[in-house]
Amino acid sequence: MQNSRITQHGFDNFKTTYTFDITKYRIMKTITTNRIAKVLGSLIIVMLVGLNSNMTYAQNTQNDMTSSADQKLTVKGKVSDDEGPLPGVNIVLKGSKVGAVTDENGMFTFPQALSSGDVLVFSFLGFENQEIKVTPKNTFINLMMTSEFVEMMGAPNSDKPYRSKRSN
Amino acid sequence: MRYILLFIVAVQGYAQQSDFDHVDFEKADSIALSCNNEGLDNLPQLAFKLTQDLDTDVERFRAIYKWVCTNIANDYDLYSRNKRKRVKFKNDSLQLKLWNDRFKTKIFDKLLKKKRTICTGYAYLVQELSKLANLDCRMVHGYGKTSMTTIEAEDPPNHTWNAIKLNGKWYLCDPTWASGIPDPDTNIFTFNYNDGYFLAHPELFAINHFPLESRWSLTDTETSFEAFLDTPILYGNAYTNLNLHLAPEHFSNNINTSQHIKFQYELLYQVTPGEVRLDIDNGFHSRRVAIDNIVIENKRLSFTHRFEHSGFYDVHFYLNDRLISTYTFDVSR
Repeated sequence: MQNSRITQHGFDNFKTTYTFDITKYRIMKTITTNRIAKVLGSLIIVMLVGLNSNMTYAQNTQNDMTSSADQKLTVKGKVSDDEGPLPGVNIVLKGSKVGAVTDENGMFTFPQALSSGDVLVFSFLGFENQEIKVTPKNTFINLMMTSEFVEMMGAPNSDKPYRSKRSN
Repeated sequence: MRYILLFIVAVQGYAQQSDFDHVDFEKADSIALSCNNEGLDNLPQLAFKLTQDLDTDVERFRAIYKWVCTNIANDYDLYSRNKRKRVKFKNDSLQLKLWNDRFKTKIFDKLLKKKRTICTGYAYLVQELSKLANLDCRMVHGYGKTSMTTIEAEDPPNHTWNAIKLNGKWYLCDPTWASGIPDPDTNIFTFNYNDGYFLAHPELFAINHFPLESRWSLTDTETSFEAFLDTPILYGNAYTNLNLHLAPEHFSNNINTSQHIKFQYELLYQVTPGEVRLDIDNGFHSRRVAIDNIVIENKRLSFTHRFEHSGFYDVHFYLNDRLISTYTFDVSR
């Protein structure tokens, strides 16, 4: 409802300003001096540009209402590793806090509609992070995560004074 | 040519914490503190929370590093189990890989559920959180030397730390040793953050860290592994009190009773001669030795010591009652 009202309002504006411009232009024409015509000319161009963008705005909102799938994408998917589905994987929209976690079957549904070009970061302790770009074509992401090769070792620190081993 | 090289070195200087003396880490540290209850089940979110309100890379890295150091416990039990197997399989790469794969799963599970790990876990977390915050941070594998480690030439690597690129320059830090000290007997870990391991001076760092890839030493002079095996033992206090350790260069020293041994250090803080002492242990008893020839110039501390009697001595260097380093002296007539 809100959207359609804005749309109409936009068109109303467009009509009134347009007629206003024409009359203004006609009046001016009678007084015609080159300079004023020039200034007004550019003024009209500016106004027309303004109107034009108004129109595209109106179109956009209309599109949103009719076929939202083109712009806002609901992304789902399944994450697994070489041993099967991977539960507990984090999926986060890059540069934000919004995210989802895979369930026991490795499945997730991203809680927020995404736009084409958004990047999702998949992360799980011990696996390499992966970034996937959202496009209208891949709203179901089937991802295979590879476990990171990490050589495990660890020498804890010590504050015990060193003592030489002595035979005596 | 030599002068040009000297000039470049002088201008670039060593990458160390004092490069950021103008940066106040209070904000980064308080953000790390405010995230104390966070778990590891959502790393991207944790990285975001730790870094979103900070303006510079060094502050962002600081918040991540400080969080890991003050939230992850060092598990001595895990360490000793792993060490046994690594030594056992050191000549059997297949068995070692099999063990490593199995152990890795266990490590990550324990890290996730209990926030306990061994040092690769620390370095790994610092690296992963940094990556998520668009910082170039790497794990560095190699050998770490403490008063309790006995590294021999054949031993497999035992330690992991981090290198971080800030303003186009690489720096070193050791989150494992900065976090605290585990008690080998009780497996109780006490958090005791040591700021000295954050962007430490590479020359000081090289005394008890030997990277498998020499480029990660970040020093001009390359140390051989043999030389590393004979560097003095440094304690955590060395990192909070010294900028550089200059002499003695070696851990084990063969001398005679006529020689004057030179000790030299570059200090981070001014000290008074009364705060400098050596504890000398001949195997039967330890005695405190006050030193009467101390020179302190421009934060550079120097003194000498001569042994009057032959024997084998463990020599501990103390500043203000804090143990800094240990050497051994085999003294003959």
